[in-house]
Amino acid sequence: MGARTVSHQKKQEHVSTETFKFAPPYQLPSWPFVTPPDIGSGGIARHPIVIVGAGPAGLTLACDLALRGVRAVLLDEDDTVGVRGASSRGICYAQKTLEIFERLGIYQRLVDKGITWSLGRTFSGDEEVYQFNLKTDSVSVQPPFINLQQFYVEWFLVDRIIELDRTDLRWKSSVKRVTPLDNGVRIEVETPAGCYTIDADHLIDATGANSPIRTQLGLEAHPSRSTDRWCISDVRFKKPLPTERWTWVDAPFNEGRAVWQHLMGDGVWRIDYQMPEDCDTSLISRPEVAGARLREQLGPGVEFEFVWIGPYSYRDHLLDSFRHGRVLFIGDSAHVVSPFGARGGNSGIQDAANLGWKLALVTQGNADATLLDTYDVERRPAAAENLQVTSRSARFMAPRSPAEQTLRRAVIALASRYSFARGFVNTGRMSVANEYPAAPHLPDGSRSVQNLPLRYADGRATTLMQLFGDFDKGAESTQFLALWLEPTHAQALAATVALAAFPVKLIAVGGASGLPTLLADQALKKQLGLDGGATLCLLRPDAYRAATFHAPTPAGLASAMHTACVFPRTTST
Amino acid sequence: MTTDPNIPDPDGFYAAWIGAHESLTETQSADFNARLILLLANQCGDQVVLIECIEAARTSGAPGHHPHQN
Repeated sequence: MGARTVSHQKKQEHVSTETFKFAPPYQLPSWPFVTPPDIGSGGIARHPIVIVGAGPAGLTLACDLALRGVRAVLLDEDDTVGVRGASSRGICYAQKTLEIFERLGIYQRLVDKGITWSLGRTFSGDEEVYQFNLKTDSVSVQPPFINLQQFYVEWFLVDRIIELDRTDLRWKSSVKRVTPLDNGVRIEVETPAGCYTIDADHLIDATGANSPIRTQLGLEAHPSRSTDRWCISDVRFKKPLPTERWTWVDAPFNEGRAVWQHLMGDGVWRIDYQMPEDCDTSLISRPEVAGARLREQLGPGVEFEFVWIGPYSYRDHLLDSFRHGRVLFIGDSAHVVSPFGARGGNSGIQDAANLGWKLALVTQGNADATLLDTYDVERRPAAAENLQVTSRSARFMAPRSPAEQTLRRAVIALASRYSFARGFVNTGRMSVANEYPAAPHLPDGSRSVQNLPLRYADGRATTLMQLFGDFDKGAESTQFLALWLEPTHAQALAATVALAAFPVKLIAVGGASGLPTLLADQALKKQLGLDGGATLCLLRPDAYRAATFHAPTPAGLASAMHTACVFPRTTST
Repeated sequence: MTTDPNIPDPDGFYAAWIGAHESLTETQSADFNARLILLLANQCGDQVVLIECIEAARTSGAPGHHPHQN
């Protein structure tokens, strides 16, 4: 443990006379504003997709669409990454997010720059009361988590989007007004070179928690604000510590309040201190006050320098619907949760990956626009679940009454001695790929499949994520995968004919069917739900299971594709 | 939720229970009871029964002492 100084008494914020150094600021990239052709053109151009906001959600969507061969306009009011320079924001990227980044082609850059971790420890006072190792349940190529400053992730996404060259990136472009039209959305944009208007078939609001679009449209997001106060110190120091997520429910070096300690890229530790509710936020974030806090934690003689200090409080909100006609809300514009468990940024990125393939199928004419309703049907319950989970963590971390304090003391007292009580210690339940409830287009509900390492029958290595790209022509199509245990040649042929009209690729798992064939593998069968008698798994482009079949027939498969893609039109089944 | 008598020696259990509270302050007693509830809840291990017990305890308080009671 980092601390040895025990001080449980309440005291005034300690101000140190020591001088604390700041690291030189990050040099973040910026991209040039280019005057768009719309200015002075006299007409109003129409685009299939306009995304507003180049944060993690908006950039992921633009990148996902670009990879699927779909062009989009991306408007951002800034011309760089990060918010307020290299400040706070998200740091933990969860497995499902990392699997998405593998498919988008930026995963290796996160591995190289970030910190891979899976072990979390929770302390009370000087005692460890609980630990988890997320690696235990993982069969994915990607680790449970990588920590990295958010601006790096945004930076890698912008680089990749530029490389793919299908997105019209418009910097320093601020949306002043949106007007829903019968069959689209009109968008008024302000730039350094003047204002212009464009129309979009679909507008995606990725402008974040303070979405001006949401406000302008008058949509109720049911906000609530917590009285809990925190102060982040991003800091570099030489004390060697394991790359684990450490949390204190009640740290002796923080007057019995909570502390988070997490390593990010470039050797920078994020240390996050819970503060008294009535604290003076400008005082607690002064370098001499934050420095004194850190000095108490680290002990004397440990050199450190600050990268960033900032107080914050958290809040939450949840839109009633994530789709309003031709306007779709992703990420923080749709939902905000408290930070415990890294469920904010990750769910925004997963919103984008959920919407990307649907927008691609609709835009390319392979599905009806009603498929976009399923984005709300799936991602709103996911956000509601994240809100419930994070609110429970927040309540454990900041008890609201003496009675709640008593119950938490009971949990902690028992946790170090009895394993059952450790399950109650709630310092955040880490982000997972949310399961989707049953719905008309998803009769059995759906769960994500991990990115398994796989082999073709001829010995070539691949992964589940790579499978989606292995058969694409120019990597520009959006396909489901039908993974089939040992089909016969005749079955494969009949299914291929029946599925010709649908965006789906048949792949065999074992057998000699003439289809591209993977080696059968127990982990694969289990992930696909083929370990209990089912023989075929229909996997969506976002690696969620659409359906499993015990006795697949050509007509049954076509019908399942029809259901999963929400095809209202007549097809050749 | 079992509401019929199920404890073999109620008087013995009650004696042990109040015995454990002897010489505790009010805060220590509240802490003790909270720990005891957690241990007992884990013996039960049935979510539905536990929620029923919470509800039964909530609605069994003397009227007037619980202004929020329905």
